[in-house]
Amino acid sequence: MIDPKLKAQYTTTIGIECHVQLKTNTKLFSAVGNDAREAPANSLVSHIDFGLPGALPVLNKEALTLAVKAAFALGTEPERFSKFDRKHYFYPDLPKGYQITQFDEPIIGKGAITIQVDGQPKLIGITRAHMEEDAGKSTHPAGTDYSLVDLNRAGTPLLEIVSEPDMHTSAEAKAYAYELYLRMRYAEVSEANLYYGNMRFDVNVSVSKTDQLGTRSETKNLNSFRSVEKAVDYEVERQINVLERGESVVQETRGWNDDKQATFSQRSKENADDYRYMPDPDIPPVELDEAFIAAIKADMPLLPDDYRSKFAAIDFDGKVVADILAVPESAKLVAQILDTAGPEHARRIAFWLMLNTPTDEEPTVTAAPIAPAEQLIKLSQLVADNKLSSTAAKEVLAVLQQQGGDVEAIATSKNLMQESDENAIAAIVTEVLAANPKAAEDVKNGEMKAIGFLVGQVMKQSQGKANPALAQQLIKRQLALPKEG
Amino acid sequence: MGKLSRDDVLKLANLARLELSEDEITEYVTELSEILQYVEMLQSVDVSGLAPTNQVTGLTNVTRDDEIVDYGYQVADLLTNVPAVEAGQLKVKRMIG
Repeated sequence: MIDPKLKAQYTTTIGIECHVQLKTNTKLFSAVGNDAREAPANSLVSHIDFGLPGALPVLNKEALTLAVKAAFALGTEPERFSKFDRKHYFYPDLPKGYQITQFDEPIIGKGAITIQVDGQPKLIGITRAHMEEDAGKSTHPAGTDYSLVDLNRAGTPLLEIVSEPDMHTSAEAKAYAYELYLRMRYAEVSEANLYYGNMRFDVNVSVSKTDQLGTRSETKNLNSFRSVEKAVDYEVERQINVLERGESVVQETRGWNDDKQATFSQRSKENADDYRYMPDPDIPPVELDEAFIAAIKADMPLLPDDYRSKFAAIDFDGKVVADILAVPESAKLVAQILDTAGPEHARRIAFWLMLNTPTDEEPTVTAAPIAPAEQLIKLSQLVADNKLSSTAAKEVLAVLQQQGGDVEAIATSKNLMQESDENAIAAIVTEVLAANPKAAEDVKNGEMKAIGFLVGQVMKQSQGKANPALAQQLIKRQLALPKEG
Repeated sequence: MGKLSRDDVLKLANLARLELSEDEITEYVTELSEILQYVEMLQSVDVSGLAPTNQVTGLTNVTRDDEIVDYGYQVADLLTNVPAVEAGQLKVKRMIG
């Protein structure tokens, strides 16, 4: 660990590039399937992905639609004019010898998003975002002198989102990555499954003691929020140590070794890349008309910020809101319940749903068992009416989520409904008081601890069905104690 | 611009992954320089106030629906042009150590 005092002398500056895989059926320019997860090698390929002479790539309209959605999710509007360019480099996973991307006129220009860092909002600028195709996947069998290339992933539509260098701590970098993830999921732009590499982060980090930015390193292909955070921490310490030794930070691309929790040098940028960008003559430019944009805007799902504002009506702390937002289905459900049944029910049900929320920091797959809103509201009402204890409600909820059905019928069949018939409970109270004169006397003398024992006895006699609050009230009444105190 | 140096030619060759003989390097320094000078005539045209030409077709918004298309050949046929295949994958010179 580096001395915090030394660290405090330096300002850290962080910018992040994020590749998001767009949720389409087919590739960006080739009409073959896009789900390469379980497909045999080179089964989802075409002459376009192989870059065969004469192949004509044609833009996938859905990818364009998703990019427009992403623009709204990034706090901006899509550019009315954008175009595609060729970025030339030779690599075996890129058969054409160039990647089709957007160079100087991307689909998304300047935007901004608000991130949540330790419960505090902070605005982070978005420089731009552009559409581009992914490359193939290569593997390097151990003990051989060759590599193998699978082109299933080649041509997959990506949106590369570039942030302004507005972040200054690893916590902010992590929060930014997470906020992008939430927005891409809520906007239904991407499956955003980190396990399958649907979102990959490249983190640019520099440190400086002066107003002038230091030389930066770029750590590429981070695929979890935690690794974004750890890579920033590692780079900050490494760069400060380099500078403190009187050396210079080298501008370079680095990789992340998750086992060692360390970055490592991949290639220096001394030979500045020379991509020879040129407009792609195969892909005519995109000119979006207002009707197309307006239709997509009208169809936008609610975004995390919309839910945050909505949930302000419920008495939640920030951590709870964050936990609900981690599962879009839960957020939708809680919002629906808030709209139809009010904050009290929304609050109670939200806490129930969170029992099923994975607490893992890396929400790659989230499949919270969701129940119909009307049944949840009914269950919440039973608790509100003291007809069901909150412990019993959780038991009913588990059955509801697994098997469905009617909550009242489930509660009845499991013998969980509370006895709120005053006369029936009053009779039990009378019995209990008679059987426990010592405890009754203690309560009368102001030893309120004993009342818990008496309530317990009433619960026992009623086989747990008595409403405890009502039981306590009746005990006090029969002992002629004041209602409160 | 004007005349290309030997280093320029070597850089271009490297970017294009071409191996040039000494004779070819000498030849291209001259030939490419001449081509460049010829194209440089375009620099004399006043293009101020003109938008760059990205496309000559005049087309915009050429898109397709997001549906799988049967291109009418066996996917496996694509691999027949590949010099070396192993287990359905393209076998290439090792990329990393």
